[in-house]
Amino acid sequence: MSKQHKQAEEYIDIDDEIQTTAQQTGYAWEEEYKRSWDVLQEDEDGSLKRTVENLQHRMKRKKLFRDTSTIRRGIIRHIFLIIDLSEAMMEKDLRPSRLELTLSYAEQFILEYFDQNPISQLGIIVTRGGIAEKLTDLTGNPMDNIRVLKNKKNTDTDGEPSLQNSLEMARSTLIHVPAHGSREILIIMGSLTTCDPGDIYDTIDSLVKENIRVSVVGLAAEVQICKHMCKKTKGIYGVVLNEVHFKDLLFEIIPPPPVSVAQSKAELVIMGFPSSVTDSMPSLCACHSKPTTNGYICARCNSKICDLPTDCPVCELTLVSSPHLARSYHHLFPIDNFVEVPWNSAFTTHCFSCQMPFPNATTSLLGTRVVTETSGRYKCNKCNQHFCIDCDVFVHEVIHNCPGCLATTLSIK
Amino acid sequence: MRFTIDGLPVYFPYDKIYPEQYAYMSDLKKALDAEGHCLLEMPSGTGKTVSLLSLIVAYQMYYPEKRKLIYCSRTVPEIEKTLAELQILIEYRKSHGVEESFLGIGLTSRKNLCLHPTVSQQKWGKVVDAKCRNLTASWVRDKSKVDTSIELCNFYETLEQYDPSEILMDGVYTLEDLRIFGKEKDICPYYLARRMIPFANVVIYSYHYLLDPKVAELVSKEMSRDCIVVFDEAHNIDNVCIESLSIDITKPNLDASARSVAKLSEKIDEFKAKDSARLKDEYTKLLEGLKAAKEAKDEDTFMANPVLPDDLLTEAVPGNIRKAEHFVAFLRRFIEYLKTRMRIQHVVAETPISFLQHLRELTFIEERPLRFCSQRLTSLIRTLELSDLDEYYALHKVAAFATLVATYANGFLLILEPFENETVPNPILHYACLDASIAIKPVFERFKTVVITSGTLSPLDMYPKMLSFQTVVQESYSMTLTRNCFLPLVITRGSDQVAISSKFEVRNDPAVVRNFGQILVEFSKIVPDGIVAFFPSYLYMESIVAMWNDMGILNEAWKHKLIFVETPDAAETSLALENYRTACDNGRGAILLSVARGKVSEGIDFDHNYGRAVIMFGVPYQYTENRILKARLEFLRENYRIRENDFLTFDAMRHAAQCVGRVLRGKTDYGLMIFADKRFGRTDKRNKLPKWINQYITETATNLSTDMALVIAKKFLRSMAQPFDDQRGVSLWTLEDIVAKQRGTAHLSNNFGGRIIQ
Repeated sequence: MSKQHKQAEEYIDIDDEIQTTAQQTGYAWEEEYKRSWDVLQEDEDGSLKRTVENLQHRMKRKKLFRDTSTIRRGIIRHIFLIIDLSEAMMEKDLRPSRLELTLSYAEQFILEYFDQNPISQLGIIVTRGGIAEKLTDLTGNPMDNIRVLKNKKNTDTDGEPSLQNSLEMARSTLIHVPAHGSREILIIMGSLTTCDPGDIYDTIDSLVKENIRVSVVGLAAEVQICKHMCKKTKGIYGVVLNEVHFKDLLFEIIPPPPVSVAQSKAELVIMGFPSSVTDSMPSLCACHSKPTTNGYICARCNSKICDLPTDCPVCELTLVSSPHLARSYHHLFPIDNFVEVPWNSAFTTHCFSCQMPFPNATTSLLGTRVVTETSGRYKCNKCNQHFCIDCDVFVHEVIHNCPGCLATTLSIK
Repeated sequence: MRFTIDGLPVYFPYDKIYPEQYAYMSDLKKALDAEGHCLLEMPSGTGKTVSLLSLIVAYQMYYPEKRKLIYCSRTVPEIEKTLAELQILIEYRKSHGVEESFLGIGLTSRKNLCLHPTVSQQKWGKVVDAKCRNLTASWVRDKSKVDTSIELCNFYETLEQYDPSEILMDGVYTLEDLRIFGKEKDICPYYLARRMIPFANVVIYSYHYLLDPKVAELVSKEMSRDCIVVFDEAHNIDNVCIESLSIDITKPNLDASARSVAKLSEKIDEFKAKDSARLKDEYTKLLEGLKAAKEAKDEDTFMANPVLPDDLLTEAVPGNIRKAEHFVAFLRRFIEYLKTRMRIQHVVAETPISFLQHLRELTFIEERPLRFCSQRLTSLIRTLELSDLDEYYALHKVAAFATLVATYANGFLLILEPFENETVPNPILHYACLDASIAIKPVFERFKTVVITSGTLSPLDMYPKMLSFQTVVQESYSMTLTRNCFLPLVITRGSDQVAISSKFEVRNDPAVVRNFGQILVEFSKIVPDGIVAFFPSYLYMESIVAMWNDMGILNEAWKHKLIFVETPDAAETSLALENYRTACDNGRGAILLSVARGKVSEGIDFDHNYGRAVIMFGVPYQYTENRILKARLEFLRENYRIRENDFLTFDAMRHAAQCVGRVLRGKTDYGLMIFADKRFGRTDKRNKLPKWINQYITETATNLSTDMALVIAKKFLRSMAQPFDDQRGVSLWTLEDIVAKQRGTAHLSNNFGGRIIQ
């Protein structure tokens, strides 16, 4: 009997190593790594220029599309930037590391943010070791914010982040913001967990009640609570694919968000437009108590301020200069996206604004057409002028005015 | 939307349909037309139930035969879910102007449906059943007419006053609806459902009502031949069949039976003194044979009962157990014999034939009377008007054992194990059914169309072999996806290049255990929210977790996620599950350590954030030292030509597939499926996974080390987090897509005369 059993046992030996020895040679994934330079195609002259240009072209074009409908947007913004400083930020899956990249992008973000939204304010909160720490309060000065981020002590990593603590901290400040300004929170989150003292759903509910919009840029993967929070507060949730995508996601926050009808009560805001002064003798400024020669004089209390825009340290009047207002203005009336011109109507030879020659339609028909599948011309639908891709980008991202349209209105006048 | 399949108008309660749902319906229709059995494997989370229901209901309503649908599901929540789905479908049909009378009901145990104020408070199903019988049995009710002090169940009495055909209105009643309806009208929902079965178009209940001979006898006997029977989530159907015919008898069982027998004989004496006419009456009835007793009902309407095969019904009960006192003496002798057998000190395995021979030599009990044991006992209990039937549970078990052992010479094995864990004396007599086809045979014979369907039935030809039936349609569907929303990875080595495996010789090797732990820790770092990890067995899980604790791996994982563990205790596990879900919801993240073949691996879904990754630690082979398993393997080899290795691998892979399938519950969901064992890398193992999983295992992903798997997984998680919307046309069809497809295939079949669905 026992012998029989033994036999059965031998038969049931469920593993055999026949195949495994053959597989010792290497991993299958190694095969999949192709030499990326093999993919590139040379044109008939043996040059890579065309291909590279083409790739760049496509990338630029992809960036361009944005919503151009004229809707009400809150151009006086109040935003808290919450930066996760947990251990997870030390990961090196983004180069040079999640933390380094985040800090440098944060700096760029702050500059671009104030450039595009000059009359808005921004504050920074970091979270590490389960607590939140406010580095700067809401301020209109980009340099204050950048200075704290440069301080190494402020950017040490430790433990886990706490979403709830940092949200509560931002909320406690944002609820005092007047109704005409938007309330926003932007979180850069590398960690996949959060260490919270209470029920975060209560916090989310109160954020919704206070009309605070929370957007999150995740550095690793989609976390349910972030997704839920962004959906509830009508923010944007994005997870980065790579370094470039990280920047794209971050900069998506820069155009001011639309204002919902409920909260958009028309209201008058008191603002001062200070005059610029240049003295031969330095005098103390009201903001830093340092002797300066240049500055602005508050329209109400006559105190001297170094930078605009800001709140007057003496009488708390919002001080802006008129170009600042004008710069925010373009968000409200963006110019339309230019449309691509197909080959059959590409008769123009030069870009309307920079006068660079367009690729020629006839040569392209002979054979190089495969390389440039687009005509490289982009048309403004209002003035029907054609522009090259670089001008297209420049018009939409920097000058916010169409040269063609301006030229026609001028000539009509 | 409404479309036609081969001329059959189908109403589908959603605006969009998945291509595989359409293919599934087409194949199902072919099987129904051909009146044959079919085996369909469809990926989990692709709306299997709704496609099945909408096609079958359309079929019922379109053709004049109105073939009834018997839908068998595994658990009560699943029954409830299916009923709700049916409700939506019927409402949709009504809202689109289909005039029809339709009744759909679900049936579950008394425990879930009872409304009686005291009876429903009982915790055990068996006690509820017994208490209910005490209040509703016919003799109790007869007696109460004379003696008004006897308590009856109000709900049952009200039901009795109605004519069964007029109580329930048209519509679909979920179990909860049934309870509410019962409460409103003071009607017992359980008996109401049972009485409604003949009138219902769709009946939904648990497997056992069809497969367990004791229950099927009561509930499913009168189903007509052209019923459509569906077994959903049927990947374990062979085990259910085997369990329903296997009996374990312990020492306490035997003692209890001996007590019951003593009580029976007391009762008989009592009866003899005051009412001997009844016993005599029973005797004559038995003399005429069991068949005669049932002739009043049409014999063709019964489904055959495996415990009591047809040929038995035609014979009369043998003379030596016809008289009540003789039968009791007979039982006593049989129980004594079993008791002596239990005293053995070594393990015995023997066939029913040798058992019977030994029995005859020692006690002169013949095979024939044994065969009638179960039937005779039921008859006796009815005659004696006994109440509190739960006390006779053990005796019933022994009687059922007696009947089975005398009926089947093949396909069963008796195993006597005197010790538990080699040391603790706790003799158990296993009467193990080895042949899954015995229990399900009557179902296949009785009904024209039996549909077996699940998310994991691969390899498909295994089931027809094991259950010995023939299919007209046998299909496995792949999953059409616009993005690859799950990523199977096979990790064969740790980061230190040590091969990992749960193979017996190396499973406790510290290097292997550390590498397993490494996988857990590393994935807990990169996977958001929930991770579910499966181990082959509780024993192995315990030893590994203990070792991880010593190595400090658990502390490491704790930094990133909370850890919950499944235990054999159901209450504890459900508490752990609840907390696990909370942790997944509020961003803390959690790991659930559980066991393949356990409760978690079978019935619980980990959709979306509740399961972003499943890690399968090792291949979930069964414990091969188990004597019953060994016997079954031998049986399968000899009778069905299924090699041990094939069966074990098949069984392991279906459980592995079942485990990893938990993570994906729909096309918007996504998740990682990690197979951590070098043996998964081999093609013979992988080929036994369902087609829809296999299809997405790339050559690169079959042989990875931990670090490489991490890189791929990270990339996957990032790309899955990107916004995604448009799946129309490819993996989601509108009505136009279906019409286009039909036109295209009609065109194709004209040209090639080939199959309609490619």
